[in-house]
Amino acid sequence: MDCYTANWNPLGDSAFYRKYELYSMDWDLKEELRDCLVAAAPYGGPIALLRNPWRKEKAASIRPVLEIYSASGLPLASLLWKSGPVVSLGWSAEEELLCVQEDGVVLVYGLHGDFRRHFSMGNEVLQNRVLDARIFHTEFGSGVAILTGAHRFTLSANVGDLKLRRMPEVPGLQSAPSCWTTLCQDRVAHILLAVGPDLYLLDHAACSAVTPPGLAPGVSSFLQMAVSFTYRHLALFTDTGYIWMGTASLKEKLCEFNCNIRAPPKQMVWCSRPRSKERAVVVAWERRLMVVGDAPESIQFVLDEDSYLVPELDGVRIFSCSTHEFLHEVPVASEEIFKIASMAPGALLLEAQKEYEKESQKADEYLREIQELGHLTQAVQQCIEAAGHEHQPDMQKSLLRAASFGKCFLDRFPPDSFVRMCQDLRVLNAIRDYHIGIPLTYSQYKQLTIQVLLDRLVLRRLYPLAIQICEYLRLPEVQGVSRILAHWACYKVQQKDVSDEDVARAINQKLGDTPGVSYSDIAARAYGCGRTELAIKLLEYEPRSGEQVPLLLKMKRSKLALSKAIESGDTDLVFTVLLHLKNELNRGDFFMTLRNQPMALSLYRQFCKHQELETLKDLYNQDDNHQELGSFHIRASYAAEERIEGRVAALQMAADAFYKAKNEFAAKATEDQMRLLRLQRRLEDELGGHFVDLSLHDTVTTLVLGGHSKRAEQLARDFRIPDKRLWWLKLTALADLEDWEELEKFSKSKKSPIGYLPFVEICMKQHNKYEAKKYASRVGPEQKVKALLLVGDVAQAADVAIEHRNEAELTLVLSHCTGTADAATADRIQRARAQAQKK
Amino acid sequence: MAFPHRPDAPELPDFSMLKRLARDQLIYLLEQLPGKKDLFIEADLMSPLDRIANVSILKQHEVDKLYKVENKPALSSNEQLCFLVRPRIKNMRYVAGLVNADKLAGRTRKYKVIFSPQKFHACEMVLEEEGVYGDVSCDEWAFSLLPLDVDLLSMELPEFFRDYFLEGDQRWINTAVQALHLLSTLYGPFPNCYGIGRCTKMSYELWRKLEEEEDGETKGRRPEIGHLFLLDRDVDFVTALCSQVVYEGLVDDTFRIKCGSVDFGPEVTSSDRSLKVLLNAEDKVFNEIRNEHFSNVFGFLSQKARNLQAQYDRRRGMDIKQMKNFVSQELKGLKQEHRLLSVHIGACESIMKKKTKQDFQELIKTEHALLEGFNIRESTSYIEEHIDRQVSPIESLRLMCLLSLTENGLIPKDYRSLKTQYLQSYGPEHLLTFSNLRRAGLLTEQAPGDTLTAVESKVSKLVTDKAAGKITDAFSSLAKRSNFRAISKKLNLIPRVDGEYDLKVPRDMAYVFSGAYVPLSCRLIEQVLERRSWQGLDEVVRLLNCSELAFTDMTKEDKASSESLRLILVVFLGGCTFSEISALRFLGREKGYRFIFLTTAVTNSARLMEAMSEVKA
Repeated sequence: MDCYTANWNPLGDSAFYRKYELYSMDWDLKEELRDCLVAAAPYGGPIALLRNPWRKEKAASIRPVLEIYSASGLPLASLLWKSGPVVSLGWSAEEELLCVQEDGVVLVYGLHGDFRRHFSMGNEVLQNRVLDARIFHTEFGSGVAILTGAHRFTLSANVGDLKLRRMPEVPGLQSAPSCWTTLCQDRVAHILLAVGPDLYLLDHAACSAVTPPGLAPGVSSFLQMAVSFTYRHLALFTDTGYIWMGTASLKEKLCEFNCNIRAPPKQMVWCSRPRSKERAVVVAWERRLMVVGDAPESIQFVLDEDSYLVPELDGVRIFSCSTHEFLHEVPVASEEIFKIASMAPGALLLEAQKEYEKESQKADEYLREIQELGHLTQAVQQCIEAAGHEHQPDMQKSLLRAASFGKCFLDRFPPDSFVRMCQDLRVLNAIRDYHIGIPLTYSQYKQLTIQVLLDRLVLRRLYPLAIQICEYLRLPEVQGVSRILAHWACYKVQQKDVSDEDVARAINQKLGDTPGVSYSDIAARAYGCGRTELAIKLLEYEPRSGEQVPLLLKMKRSKLALSKAIESGDTDLVFTVLLHLKNELNRGDFFMTLRNQPMALSLYRQFCKHQELETLKDLYNQDDNHQELGSFHIRASYAAEERIEGRVAALQMAADAFYKAKNEFAAKATEDQMRLLRLQRRLEDELGGHFVDLSLHDTVTTLVLGGHSKRAEQLARDFRIPDKRLWWLKLTALADLEDWEELEKFSKSKKSPIGYLPFVEICMKQHNKYEAKKYASRVGPEQKVKALLLVGDVAQAADVAIEHRNEAELTLVLSHCTGTADAATADRIQRARAQAQKK
Repeated sequence: MAFPHRPDAPELPDFSMLKRLARDQLIYLLEQLPGKKDLFIEADLMSPLDRIANVSILKQHEVDKLYKVENKPALSSNEQLCFLVRPRIKNMRYVAGLVNADKLAGRTRKYKVIFSPQKFHACEMVLEEEGVYGDVSCDEWAFSLLPLDVDLLSMELPEFFRDYFLEGDQRWINTAVQALHLLSTLYGPFPNCYGIGRCTKMSYELWRKLEEEEDGETKGRRPEIGHLFLLDRDVDFVTALCSQVVYEGLVDDTFRIKCGSVDFGPEVTSSDRSLKVLLNAEDKVFNEIRNEHFSNVFGFLSQKARNLQAQYDRRRGMDIKQMKNFVSQELKGLKQEHRLLSVHIGACESIMKKKTKQDFQELIKTEHALLEGFNIRESTSYIEEHIDRQVSPIESLRLMCLLSLTENGLIPKDYRSLKTQYLQSYGPEHLLTFSNLRRAGLLTEQAPGDTLTAVESKVSKLVTDKAAGKITDAFSSLAKRSNFRAISKKLNLIPRVDGEYDLKVPRDMAYVFSGAYVPLSCRLIEQVLERRSWQGLDEVVRLLNCSELAFTDMTKEDKASSESLRLILVVFLGGCTFSEISALRFLGREKGYRFIFLTTAVTNSARLMEAMSEVKA
């Protein structure tokens, strides 16, 4: 292990920088990197190359090729560039490739070279052409900043939600700035540009000149500037070979360095670790790489070939034609453990474990040393942490083994951190694999989160790996496996060479009814690819009918949508479909559709009843539903029409409908009503008063009460009012009038069809005992007792009851015997009862 | 009297949480419209709202004036108007009218419509058609369960009955599903579920689906309520149409209990003012008599009055200290009891005046004859006379329906003549009423011969097919046969009585109908609970025309405690009557269960008939 720190380079007293190889690249590059537009996405993202034929004056006639590679150099896509000249390439945070054309149009491509969309950066840009462009990342997403031929800046802070902002003019700017960059402060994007010896800061309102504090004198122009990954720091490279490093707010200087190289560097990027005090900048020239920081000396590397720098959260990736390396500050934990002659607890623990493996008693000595100082916990933690920062699995293993060894001597060491680190490393090693090619460091991985990592795997169509990771980490299905399967299915439906049946079956087999998978989303994707039939097949698997409906409507399968909506039981959904259908179909077809769906029909009917009465009528007509049509006209006859003629006409229509419905009863009743209405109208004309709208019974009663007995009789005959009703009617009416004389005459007109008990009742209701008694005598024997009781003649009632020898009657009379007055009667009944029982 | 619960009877869950939830949500919605606002409330929502949030709570949240939604122009001068309405088209037109009038007058205000319990697409469409959709913001107040009493939850949706059982409109099913969902999220899953009826089946299935979708929420929760029983109103119309003789039912029939409270008029209060009384378990006097047969109530009340007097009298012999104690501790309670007692005595008197007349006795006698199936001719002429004398349009309809339901339809001659008589008495618009009753299967004509059964078997075959199951209303009127007589025999609904039925010490649920009839709905529940399934009831289910519509669903988990297994949630879709509630409370006491009732609305015969009637607007 002596050579372990061989690649460590000290910068100043406190920090080491190391560079190690991630991959050896065997991407068969046809062009030199320097001839290409290059874009590499951060977080170990893909690399896009576009040979830039427009740079040279006489463009070659052949079209350039846009190539996309994984970070390990595996080709992902290659396509002929058919659009206009490209000024700049860049990756968005969603790993979409943004290609900024000279005319300000930005074309967006997917990871696999699939064209997604395009947008324009505005008219001003179109007129003045694009001079330079940058893709930058903010917390809102990815932005594009453009420098136009008129030396004006236009930017959009988020291409997902495109809002163009034209930055203010820089006064007196005649030529293009020597260098510029975007800054992001207080959630607002600014532009910092250098013109000669001056620096200007553009925000959306104004342009202000700025001076970095403590800048060495003699600067006549700035050749390069670099903003750190987190927008916190800024570095400026001047034509005197002097590098200024400070905060991005330009309020504080951190350090400076004079490298004495006046040639403009090819690239300059920050190389710093989160939460580290060390600040360093990596500057690249054609054949030289320099790491400078707050130290009098710098670290220098020789570059054998054309290289390209990619700033990362915690370091810099450097790739060239044949190799891909990572340069970073050695993390504290690693430094402590591996620094030569380190006595840090972690270092001792690692040593102890090695001795233990050699079965040497030194192991015990080391361990004792740590334990005596009480640093064992810290030692274990250090080993775990350092393991995370190692790239080589062997090294990771030996550190983890040491940690595990140390853990044995601790009572209560919570296992989570160890377990989690093992899991994380396993995931990291898997994705760093050459075939996958995502060289994330531990810090980057934690910053990115597992969810985003899964998304990126899905984006690369690495579904099996993503699923394995989900299962390995035991992520909840909805966030993990289901989501990935759904993405897979969405990709699957785009495979046009497979038949609908096969795709649908394959998807269903894989997905089954995994929770959280929305078949309707997949179907929507299928429809988006123009595969309607497949979409319908997929929808069949959707368990929630409600989810199927919107897509079916979009696909113009309204009838299917209707039956699905009905199945869902959600009436609102049914209604939505109905309105769709109503607009889509002609009236006849619409009604026919309804006819086959009783539930929808009744829903629509309910709506029409309140809102579209005429439609309701048409609906019944269409169905030949004469019964309901008749009812409709009846309702109209009293709800809609005021005039008698109109009402009669409505009734006539109702009667016709009822005849058609073979409902003779209703038809006859309606016709009677027509007659009655006419008659009532005549009565109103002739007699005055109010008749219209009374029922037949009430009409006759009104006539009797008005003293028009003859008319009443006539009406009763005309409308065949049964005798019983007529008698009840007259009896009640005459009693109401208290026309006792007439009542008596009436009672004698013929034998009462309702008997005479009602006469007694009604008279008693009017409290006329005298009249009641008259009729009580005429009540037939069966009801005699009741009648006598009604008029209050208990004694006589008792007599009759005794005479009848009727037990029920006796009981009834007895229950009416109250108070002392009836005591004798009660007595009599008891005796009669006893007598009856004896017999 | 007023039988205590068995000592092992389980505790009821606390349903006041539902009120708090509803109140919080309403307040949140009101706060969404900051500043002073006038609140327009639909008449039907006023009483339920009052139970949730009183005026002072509304005022606290900057409600300025309260208006009733009615067909009059609003005189509000506020800059912000808020409407609290049921999702009805008529209300939408009211809102639209108001907004459009403002527009004409060049006035701009803020309008917010809060739909309770949910909004319907049709409503929004009306707003759109009237051109005001953009001016109005819409919200939902998911207030679907009002706890009327410790064991009674009401959705306060009386229109559920007409909309579903007459018009075949399923829009409220979702509301019922949401209500079930709310209960299961709050009180844990239901380990045992039973149900019967088409609406029940659909609601249950939708609810299950919803539960599956939102899996995990209720998973692992201990069930508080062990059984769920769902029932469609049309499974048992007969019970709902009988005259009620249990005190609470009688009060409902006579004075109409609205949202758990009743307005006693001057004839009860014996003053010139009417009195609003909340009727629930908190009213100690009422709680003891609510489930009693009316014939016992008066005696009980007078006994109570005597006891009260005795307690008052105790103070005679008291020294000062005792007196002080008495005044500070007991007097208030006694006064309260005194007040309640006088109210209920007043109500009793008033009921007695109305019901102990000859007419009522005859009516009950006829009803019992219909239930038992004797003297049909006599009953028919009684009904005819009832109609001829214009006693009461609703009562007459009720009797006709009872006759039809118990006799499996009227014979054609009676059907025609009764209808003719009715039309002559009450006007021709009732042709529509009869058409409605026929559609709902409440009043039908006996079909000649056996053709009906042929259609029926065809229909039931179709119904087994899932897709064809949706062909409901087209056939339902045909398929609906009440078969009451056969069911009654199978389930022994008419108790055989030797001698007088002792109403003071009831021995079965028949006491709620004077011992003449055990409510069919309650008997079904009793039988199913006893068997823990529909097994052995196949014949009854077939006779109820519910062959495919009765289900049992049990989960194997045995997390349910024995206590929860004696708690039963009974859901009546389409409404339940106080008699049914009393009968089940009785059953619970007998068996050591506690029943919880969830109903779309508390109903009675008059309400059912009114829902079917067409009246001139």
